[in-house]
Amino acid sequence: MRRLILRRAVAFVATLFVVSLLVFTVVRILPGDPALLIMGTEASPEAAAALRRAMGLDRPILVQYVEWLGGALVGDLGRSIQYDVGVARLVVSRLAVTLPLTVLAALFMLLTAVPLGVYAATRQGRVGDYLAMLVSQLGIAIPSFWAGLLLILLFAVRLGWVQAGGFDGWAGGLWPGIRALLLPAFALGVIQAAILTRTTRAAVLEVLRADHVRTARAKGLAEGAVTWKHVVRNALLTIVTIVGLQLGQLLTGSIVLENVFYLPGLGRLALGAISARDLPVVQGVVLFVAVTVVTLNFVVDLLYTVLDPRIRYE
Amino acid sequence: MARCPGLGWFLAAAAVLAVGIGLGPLVSPGAWAQSTTLAVQTTAEPPGLDLTATPASATATVVFYNIQEALVKVDAQGRLVPWLAERWHTTDNLNYTFFLKKGVRFHSGRELTADDVKFVLDRARNPETKHPHAKQYEDITTIHVRDPYTVTIALKRTNTMFLYNLARQGSVIYPREAVDQQKSQPVGTGPFMLERWDRGDRIVLKRNPEYHVKGLPKLERVTFRFIPDANAALAALQAGDIDVMAFGLGPESVEVVRRSPNLQLIQGETTNDVILALNNSKKPFSDVRVRRAITHAVDKPEVVKGAMFGLGRVLGSNIDPLNPYFVDMAKAVPHDVARAKQLLSEAGYPNGFEAVLRVTPQYSYTVRTGEVLVEQLAKAGIRVKLEQIEWGQWLERVYKNADYDMTIIGHAEAWDAGNYANPKYYYRYDSPRFQELFRESEATIDDKKRRELYVQLQKLMVEEAPVVWLYAYPRLVAAKKGVQGIWKDLPTLAMDLSEVSWAK
Repeated sequence: MRRLILRRAVAFVATLFVVSLLVFTVVRILPGDPALLIMGTEASPEAAAALRRAMGLDRPILVQYVEWLGGALVGDLGRSIQYDVGVARLVVSRLAVTLPLTVLAALFMLLTAVPLGVYAATRQGRVGDYLAMLVSQLGIAIPSFWAGLLLILLFAVRLGWVQAGGFDGWAGGLWPGIRALLLPAFALGVIQAAILTRTTRAAVLEVLRADHVRTARAKGLAEGAVTWKHVVRNALLTIVTIVGLQLGQLLTGSIVLENVFYLPGLGRLALGAISARDLPVVQGVVLFVAVTVVTLNFVVDLLYTVLDPRIRYE
Repeated sequence: MARCPGLGWFLAAAAVLAVGIGLGPLVSPGAWAQSTTLAVQTTAEPPGLDLTATPASATATVVFYNIQEALVKVDAQGRLVPWLAERWHTTDNLNYTFFLKKGVRFHSGRELTADDVKFVLDRARNPETKHPHAKQYEDITTIHVRDPYTVTIALKRTNTMFLYNLARQGSVIYPREAVDQQKSQPVGTGPFMLERWDRGDRIVLKRNPEYHVKGLPKLERVTFRFIPDANAALAALQAGDIDVMAFGLGPESVEVVRRSPNLQLIQGETTNDVILALNNSKKPFSDVRVRRAITHAVDKPEVVKGAMFGLGRVLGSNIDPLNPYFVDMAKAVPHDVARAKQLLSEAGYPNGFEAVLRVTPQYSYTVRTGEVLVEQLAKAGIRVKLEQIEWGQWLERVYKNADYDMTIIGHAEAWDAGNYANPKYYYRYDSPRFQELFRESEATIDDKKRRELYVQLQKLMVEEAPVVWLYAYPRLVAAKKGVQGIWKDLPTLAMDLSEVSWAK
């Protein structure tokens, strides 16, 4: 176990190093100049050039990279060009929206997809199965931004039950905060829930054909006990792998939904920073997402040993 | 009957979701709150709040006229009116003496004095400070403070744009001790003070109780919300989350607003000229016959109909309809495909030519306009390939390096004919005749003579056709019924909210 953690830690640092190098180079090679974007079409080129010098963007890339890396190692991710505040502070403030949004979407996904997938598998070939598959097919076919717009039109414009978007912060209380995130979380989770339903169904079907299930049934266990104790437990290995990947996708999928619902989250921060060429922010966000995804993968790997005692990391 | 665990779960979850949404207390502002606060949507978030560091219209929308003001103001009708300077006089058009309005206080409480004016203008013309328009102040030689309320500015030559330049957003007067905090906490004399800026979400302004114009502003609090997606913004307006959709209302959504019983449409003119820019330094566009042929090939009313749902005014030159010297040149070069083909033959392109038209999806009107133009130009034998590039790339490749054949963009600044007198500007239009005429117009004070020069400038623009002027982008604002006092036209880059209020 200790060796595993050590090995993981080394891989972790190496991954981050490669990611940082990659994102740092890419955002600088891309055509597009932050000074020009701030100055726009009306300013003189001299003013833009002076601003570029003042931001230190005329120095060699390597010098800029080493300086940035040095700062990042002691927790200083630099300062946003557009917002004039620390990048670390910006990222943390945006997490207050994106994290709950992702968690809500993940909860929605898990609570609907796993039961529905198991149900469909146990009713294979019957009406319930077809219905479940039809619903999940629909869920995959509907783009999340479109689902978001439809939900806004129905629940906000027509019924007036919720606001059309935006987020007023957690200061107003837990429930108003969650309420503002319900629609986007639903829109965000639909596709992933649909995918997970189908994966769950397939995984469960495969286990259902296994010998030990027949044995369990033969010794007279009730069908419910067979399903939940012997089938689902074994199917979980596949499900957990997929869910681990999906959590990362939910995080990136929030970029689109945060735009449709104009939520001040991490995704919108990243999108805005890319189009404004706010280089320190782009670097900071990518680095943060990389850390999160690598950590998630690590947790999933650890979960395997819990789910299947046969798996040992030596 | 078999149990359906999955379906049950699903229904339970759906029920919780539905009931949960329905039971929550509705966030509806009370009658009192509604009468004194306003939520305004804008598309783009400012890239910093310092008007002396960025000419971005997103910054001007929030800060100019609301937080900070200048000595002179362009009013709703486009006239120059005294503002922080209550009057001025000059005998020789070289030395201007400004008399400041007394008792004007900054948001910090300190009174505005002539020393602030001197500091601000000295800083603007100092190249070290990176003012985006340092050129506009280069004719100033000295700034002399006579007493706390009187300041004389000396120019090295007559400059007719001088007063107008003092009314631009880059000329706002701020307290000299607060110069370093402008980027995120601008201080000024305006009707509103910055309360907070939630990065990526909103900027909240609150009423300045000591505003120097009595009875203004009428609102207690204004919130600018940044909603880039036009559909989301319209939904937010329909749902009542915002009160005004100030930018980004597409012409395609105008009918929805018109038919909506709770909404009103404010439609006016802007100084935003949408043009088909041609790279004058590149073949075949360096030939005036080719440029004229392109102008003949374009059916502008059809462009406005096809790309703008008929909204927007057809232009014939770069002088927009809100300019006092505007002459309607829209019909000067009529749509005439046969003439276009003939001109192309004369220029040595009897079979037309191929070109790339770069547009940027950040501004959807450029894409729609481009699609219409591709069809029209094809009829004259000009085979155009439409290429969409991202805004940051457009600025770098097209605007900065003039790496393009044709492009479509709107130029929002008023009084920007000077761009055609600058051969380094991305049009790469280098006409000694135009440059000479423009210099003369800058040095001519007499209004009648100046008007005559501007008429000549507009004729020359039509004759030499450096670009194709398409249409003036319309001002389209959607607001809740009851909101009053919003400017109909937009003669300058500002969203003046001082007189906006709710009908009783």
